Amino acid sequence: MNEMKNVQVKQRKKKHISKSKKSEWIAAYIFIAPLVIGLLVFYIYPFFQNFWFSFNEVNRFNISTFTGLENYKILAKDKELFRTLGNTLKYVVITVPIGICLSMFLAALLNTKIKGTSIYRTIFFLPSVTMSVAIALVWKWMYNGEFGILNMFLNLFGIQGQNWLSNPKLALYMVMIVGIWMSVGYNMIIFLAGMQGISQTYYEAAALDGAGPVKQFFKITVPLVTPTIFFVMITSIISGFQVFDTIYMMIGKTSLAYENTQTLVMMFYRYAFDYGEKGYAAAISIFIFAIILLITIFQFVMQKKWINYD
Amino acid sequence: MRKSNYAIPLGLGILMSAMLLTGCGGSKDSDDSKSSNGGKEKLTLGIWDEKQRPTMEALVAAYEKEHKNIDISIQLTPYKGGEYWTKLEASATGGTAPDVFWINSLHAEDYKDGGILADLSDYIEKSDLDLKTDFPEALVNMYTFDESVYAIPKDFDTSALFYNKDFFDKANLDYPTDDWTWDDFVDAARKLKEAGLDDGLYPLAAPLDFQTDYYPTIYAKGGWILNTDRTETGYDDPKTQEGIQMWIDLIDEGLSPSLATMTDTSADAMFEAGKTGMLMAGSYMLVEYLENDTINTKINVVEFPEVDGVEPNVMNGLGYAVFEGSKHKEEAVDFAIWLGGEEAMKIQGEKGAVISARNDAQKYFAASNKDLNLAAFTNHSDVANPLPVCKSSAELYDLEANELKWAYSGEKKLPDACSELKEKADEVLDKMNK
Repeated sequence: MNEMKNVQVKQRKKKHISKSKKSEWIAAYIFIAPLVIGLLVFYIYPFFQNFWFSFNEVNRFNISTFTGLENYKILAKDKELFRTLGNTLKYVVITVPIGICLSMFLAALLNTKIKGTSIYRTIFFLPSVTMSVAIALVWKWMYNGEFGILNMFLNLFGIQGQNWLSNPKLALYMVMIVGIWMSVGYNMIIFLAGMQGISQTYYEAAALDGAGPVKQFFKITVPLVTPTIFFVMITSIISGFQVFDTIYMMIGKTSLAYENTQTLVMMFYRYAFDYGEKGYAAAISIFIFAIILLITIFQFVMQKKWINYD
Repeated sequence: MRKSNYAIPLGLGILMSAMLLTGCGGSKDSDDSKSSNGGKEKLTLGIWDEKQRPTMEALVAAYEKEHKNIDISIQLTPYKGGEYWTKLEASATGGTAPDVFWINSLHAEDYKDGGILADLSDYIEKSDLDLKTDFPEALVNMYTFDESVYAIPKDFDTSALFYNKDFFDKANLDYPTDDWTWDDFVDAARKLKEAGLDDGLYPLAAPLDFQTDYYPTIYAKGGWILNTDRTETGYDDPKTQEGIQMWIDLIDEGLSPSLATMTDTSADAMFEAGKTGMLMAGSYMLVEYLENDTINTKINVVEFPEVDGVEPNVMNGLGYAVFEGSKHKEEAVDFAIWLGGEEAMKIQGEKGAVISARNDAQKYFAASNKDLNLAAFTNHSDVANPLPVCKSSAELYDLEANELKWAYSGEKKLPDACSELKEKADEVLDKMNK
């Protein structure tokens, strides 16, 4: 009986509290309404529509006929899917670690007390505020086999240049360089924020004990920015899987490297917008979503093993 | 006091939500208000070519002069990257597509099947427009499905041989002529090369381009690309391959830049930079070339060289379609039919941007520029083959580029590339016909 009374009292208390906070809640809901409506209209609804499309044959005008698992059956046998998946994985596996190391290195350099850090920060961050299409076009010109600045530079040293973006073995790496160059600045800023949160006392103590800057970096900085590494890794892997615009702009359909540079999103784009097969394209996008989801879940599960939250 | 607690967030919230929502439908509102204010019917004309905007504006002005109650605005969406079609499909699905819009043969059937295009047959019958006698049959057929007409032919494009006089002057060679054969063409290229060209200059360019380059020669050699039932492709036909090989030979001989070079810098861009002496190009490139100060005083154009006694050419064209879901369908159809009439086709032809589709107006294109031999585009339009199309054309063109590039670059023999291409292309056709 006592227990029941207690529960009732608690419930009454709860109700009482909610009444007093009601106006605050309403205000809060009104505040987040624009964002929530935007999310619902532009993200949540399209996501479910896309999921539904993947079980249909959908023409250019969103007229759909239910075909069940047909799209997925074709997808499972599509050689192109495995090729684009391979290219995408290669892109992620190479750009993410290099991107993280580079941006962490730059952040560490800019975290020291040297002159003009803010200028350097601005310069490194510039690619992040530049349109990726413009970046891709400029790099495409630099890589140009006949008139490109890269080949001109190599010529100075007597090295014969080549058509970088038509070389099946190299083209994807050339695109990766652009991808890393674009993302380093943004990640650097995040690392910088992480590093500035580390108390100076650790470094002072380490310096007293005779640890040099390199040792300090690996023994203090790296372990203490692991939460930042985790964040950057998750976002980089996701954006790596979604790489599209640089490749779309830089690799022409007559490039010999075309097959070796097509990513999952490129394949999705072609089916959705060039070939007007939106159902199949939806199935591809669900496949991409599933992969990213699995990898992200795996990362969250694994985080306890290596992340230092102290 | 309590009320004022959430007056500010409420106001802000409503304001922001309103902004969000009007962001989607803003243009529609302003359209409505205009039509009620001025008492005018508002029509929209969807186009994709910036170079033709002045022509379209002239046409709109001429139509509005005769129809005081109509107010037409032009909506330009770039073709590049499929943007025009993506937007058109989205707006058609939402019921807000332009009332009259450009369409081409690649998309016509898909759009007709999607119920986007209004059937114009009855309207045309009632008008004084006679598609059979006034227009080339190939163009009318592009927009005729099951004996119903879904678009009025607007213009057509053929290709011809552009050349840069500088190259010929330096080599002391005669300029190309309309009666050139393929052999003359190749001979001249060899002589240009022998006369000595600076580094990075080429006598000609042989890009991997279907309509402008290898389709015309395929047909001239007696080959084929798509059968009439659209169930099979003809890439394995030796005659088809002959028509493609002619271009590859030009690259192999070093008369043209390599495919990789033309992938990095398009053949058009190279010609416009004065890097190549000759280039086959569509009539739609004319305005761009003439706006280019590097070459515009140095170029002229002649007919596509004759191949085995045949005048090779492949013709494609645009049409004016009316949106089935248009709120002003009657007015839109009237405008579209007027655009196909004598007056409109004359205005378009005289602007010189494109060749007017009407038989009696084709001559205006050639007359629009006395300095250039523009008749090269129209002299043999009567024997030009229509561009072969089907609903999966976009996919087939991609396949062609992807497979033929191995032959163009010398990585594969052409017959091998073609048999692979045929296998994949026929699969696409099977899927399409299913």
